[in-house]
Amino acid sequence: MIEDNDIILKQAARVLTPFILIYGIYITFHGHLTPGGGFSGGTVIASSLILNRISSGNHGSGPEIDRMMGIASIALVCYGLIKAMGTFFPDFTHRVLPRGIPGDLLSGGAILPLNIAVGFVVACVMYIFFCLIGEEA
Amino acid sequence: MKRITVGLLLGAMLVVLLSTVSEMPQFGSPSNPTHNYISSRYVGKSALETGAVNVVTGIILDYRAFDTFGEATVIFVAALAVISVLARGGRSGD
Repeated sequence: MIEDNDIILKQAARVLTPFILIYGIYITFHGHLTPGGGFSGGTVIASSLILNRISSGNHGSGPEIDRMMGIASIALVCYGLIKAMGTFFPDFTHRVLPRGIPGDLLSGGAILPLNIAVGFVVACVMYIFFCLIGEEA
Repeated sequence: MKRITVGLLLGAMLVVLLSTVSEMPQFGSPSNPTHNYISSRYVGKSALETGAVNVVTGIILDYRAFDTFGEATVIFVAALAVISVLARGGRSGD
């Protein structure tokens, strides 16, 4: 998408991308403690992937979209299975995913894995949107 | 004649709607029907029952987790629709 000799943009994006990615993962994992969650964290993760794609300027996106759709499908199925397990076998779920002390990172029962699944779905879908619509333009 | 009939019908509709609005409960009054046992239970017992400090996340991922499942499915189906419209890989003979 950009010229190959745009070294300032490339290096700035290389420095910024991991920090944006870490921030998105932080929002997703702290969804039950602070404002945020899977939807907003997944969007931030997708923005880091999109920045990487814009700056590196690769065009082939067919296998990438297939892989992203696979990840999103698996995450969606995982969400349904975890929630169905929590609905039909509540005792077993509370032993595997304990509620813990409110305020800890590993607390809240099934909320943390559900947040992660939603984050995967949203990040993959946003990235797919950008790949397809950016190709059209 | 037709315009007069339409005007009369619209005027009657206006009267009905405005009288309904004037009968609605006042905004923010504590006796509103929205202030029922559900909201008080969410605010009071959410951290105890879900283990999440963030009440909003406790509601959307514990009490109403299947609603959030539907939202994620809507996003996924939107991605499917965009792919079916915009993708032009060499896989199918479009």
